Amino acid sequence: MMMDANQKPMLIIKDIRKAFGANEVLKGISIDVKKGELVTFVGPSGCGKTTLLRIIGGFTEHDSGEIILEGQSIGHLPPNLRDTRICFQNYALFPHLTVAENLSYGLKIQKWEKAKIKERVDELLKLVQLEGMGGRMIDKLSGGQQQRVAFARALSVSPKVLLLDEPLSNLDANLRLLMRDEIRRLQTELHITTVFVTHDQFEAMAISDRIVVLSDGIIQQVGSPVGIYDHPVNEFIANFVGYVNFLEATIDTIDTETGCSTVSTEYGKLKITIEQDDIKAGDGVVLVIRPETISISLSNETTKQNVLRGTLTRYMYTGSLAKCSVSLGDRGIIIDLYNPRDRVNFIKGDRVDVTIPRNVHVLKKKVASKQGE
Amino acid sequence: MARAITYDSHLYGWGRVKEFINARFINILAAFLFLLLAFFLIYPIIAVLIKSFQGPEGFTLSYYKNFFTHAYFFQSLYNTLLLGLINTVLCLIIGFCFAYMTTRGPMALRKPLKLIAMVPLIAPPYLFALSLIILFGRRGLITNAFNVGWEIYGFDGVVIAQTLAFIPLAFLMLENTIKSLNPNLEESAYDMGATEGRIIRTITIPLLTPGLLKAALLVFVMTIAEFGNAAVLGGRTPFLAPDTYTMITGEADFHMGSVLSIMLIIPCIIIFFVHSYLISGKKFTTIEGKPIASEPRKMSLLIKLPFIAVTFISGFVILVCFAVVMVAAFVNIIGVRNEFILSHMLDFRHNMAIYNSIKVSFIAALIGGGIGTLLAYVIVRGKFFGRTFIEMVALSGFALPGTVIGVGYLLAFSAPPFKLTGGILILALNCVFRFLAVGVEAGIAKLHQINIEIEEASSDMGASFIATFSRIVLPIMFPAFVAGFIYTFMTTMVSLSAVVFLVSPGYELAAVSIFNAAVYGKIGLASATTLKMIVIVILCMITLSLLSKFTKLDIEHKGGAA
Repeated sequence: MMMDANQKPMLIIKDIRKAFGANEVLKGISIDVKKGELVTFVGPSGCGKTTLLRIIGGFTEHDSGEIILEGQSIGHLPPNLRDTRICFQNYALFPHLTVAENLSYGLKIQKWEKAKIKERVDELLKLVQLEGMGGRMIDKLSGGQQQRVAFARALSVSPKVLLLDEPLSNLDANLRLLMRDEIRRLQTELHITTVFVTHDQFEAMAISDRIVVLSDGIIQQVGSPVGIYDHPVNEFIANFVGYVNFLEATIDTIDTETGCSTVSTEYGKLKITIEQDDIKAGDGVVLVIRPETISISLSNETTKQNVLRGTLTRYMYTGSLAKCSVSLGDRGIIIDLYNPRDRVNFIKGDRVDVTIPRNVHVLKKKVASKQGE
Repeated sequence: MARAITYDSHLYGWGRVKEFINARFINILAAFLFLLLAFFLIYPIIAVLIKSFQGPEGFTLSYYKNFFTHAYFFQSLYNTLLLGLINTVLCLIIGFCFAYMTTRGPMALRKPLKLIAMVPLIAPPYLFALSLIILFGRRGLITNAFNVGWEIYGFDGVVIAQTLAFIPLAFLMLENTIKSLNPNLEESAYDMGATEGRIIRTITIPLLTPGLLKAALLVFVMTIAEFGNAAVLGGRTPFLAPDTYTMITGEADFHMGSVLSIMLIIPCIIIFFVHSYLISGKKFTTIEGKPIASEPRKMSLLIKLPFIAVTFISGFVILVCFAVVMVAAFVNIIGVRNEFILSHMLDFRHNMAIYNSIKVSFIAALIGGGIGTLLAYVIVRGKFFGRTFIEMVALSGFALPGTVIGVGYLLAFSAPPFKLTGGILILALNCVFRFLAVGVEAGIAKLHQINIEIEEASSDMGASFIATFSRIVLPIMFPAFVAGFIYTFMTTMVSLSAVVFLVSPGYELAAVSIFNAAVYGKIGLASATTLKMIVIVILCMITLSLLSKFTKLDIEHKGGAA
């Protein structure tokens, strides 16, 4: 969907299906990956993302479909004949070999000369900032260092596609952020095509060129991090990539040229801009409102545009933001208030005005009810 | 747990005693258990040691001199060690092939192959001696059918029988180590372009080395100690275990019998220490992610063929051995007079022996399960000096050849003040202490699962130590007791090497009856009794697996009895 017209895809995954017994794990997955692109498969556990990665790497046989790397079908090849390198979640470093021996394992198989191997190993160590650690045994390394070795080992023979299976999940929170940026930096620098798998949507947003959201064995949405976050195609994705308020509404009027429309909710009328073409007056819709896009002020009982009135039921200060809950009668909405120190001091029980932004994302009701069971 | 007890001055008499017991309960228990171990495990061995040095005029080395100057004895030692070596290599190769196929091979083959590799577990090891005689003996089915001149009696026969008998032991240990090997390691190598042969050579085998070594040591100890196969099939080839038996029961030479026992026990003790050292040694640690069931590899034919050949051929042989024994049980003289008869199965003396065996096994199991549970508790929760020593002694039983224990008990308990021979108790007791390891290990495993805070909570609520022990600890450890019970029952049932010294006329045990029948060529009778034993063992195993299913207790099989 975001394909450059002049660039042919490097890796084409075409209608991959896989079932383990009666359990259909992948129900027809297709995606093209450009050269140098980092594409992330993200989804809840059991959505089939690791299976898909193992199929691309050749460890699991798919039932049907095609994998094409630089125009050549590789789906039938065993892993040792594919130009893909996987980096497992648990790193799978050879514990009986040193760091350098781990890094040179693949080079020796390709029958590199001794001097060249040494040169390449040093280069790799430098790349991942582990100079001088070649002689260490694996169990003498910290988790982060093991992660680096695993990454370097996957890069050792310059594969065409790098497959990363939740590479950061064994690291603690701080290190995870650091390594995430490190991997992204190296990946961009080396311009290496990468398929990344994670269950962590924030990690996916931070690291990816494109995100593929998988659930129940099918692709729910493909898009840039911004696209996925701002324009989720269904309630599942809206929920999956961050907290969200859903508000049901009916379209009163819509200007098909500009998208300017008025909608009625249970709590009042709103003016919003709708980008989709297929929504007409009378349609039932769901407004997808991110907590940080809503603004809030103490109510002065005057009528304002796009304001819903409610009662503050919770105000939780967490430093960078304050989490507010506002009750609009029978339901509540969540608001993230950034930079809360500069604002009014709200107190639980305050009457407040909640301003809904005009450019709120809208889901057509029919689609939503089908997906959001 | 060890709560400070304040001695109130108003407490006298029974109150004081009770309090003392509560405060020192675990130490009193430990002392008592240690005395039992010392008396029934260490003392008999020492009795053998003393006997081997005890001449008419006190200390002498003449019996050892005798051993080393007679070519026959030296040959016996050499044969025993060589047998151990060859057996170990064969068992490891076959066991590895089975284990690799059941963990990495095609899905469809995994379960059946595993089943076949475990089949010998349900039979006494000497079943294979019987079936080899039926097939290759002087009137053997294959001997007659193809007129082969090959003599099964001798070194080759013993090697084959022993290898078949100890495949499950090697398989179980190797399967365990391969299972603990993260399949991602091999997959990474595969990913980097390694062929399957190269993966096995550079990744699988090196990472399995500690496990392979441990399995090798255990198989070695078990095979050199095994008595039945060597005694039945050895023919004129000397081996230490049966030679000890002949020396004691045939020539009534307790001194030379003791020397032979010592020669048998030395390698076992060395190996036991090496083994304990290896277990305590460091393992390769790697970051563990989610456990991934290993998917079948696309094995190339060149790799697949040898694995398939080894597993299929040995599996086939195992099944044939079982089949011929089953047939022989219902045939007059198999191969000679092939008529269906039930007289082997109905033989009164042998059925009495089975009954006796069940009785002895039951007593042994009851005592063994109890002592094992208590020992585990003392080892895990105790805080006294010598705790690890007690553990070591308790676990050493499996490394001690039954023959040596048999001789030891004969020497230690045949005269007052400790006269036990001739009774039923001595038959049970030697098995209790030899097969203690499994009960103790199951108990230790169970105790590690439960948090000490449960016990602390109990005493915090005011329960005395004894109350905590009987109301909290014992119920929790009950599954471990049952595991120890059933295992001791099973192994005592088939155990031959020690009791063969200790049975008294008129009180036959099934294992000894099979042995005698086999030696005298009554193959049908021996087969029938073996078959009954198999049925009993299968019933035990079913109970064991049901138990481990319901209690989630990992019950480890230690392999057949020596």
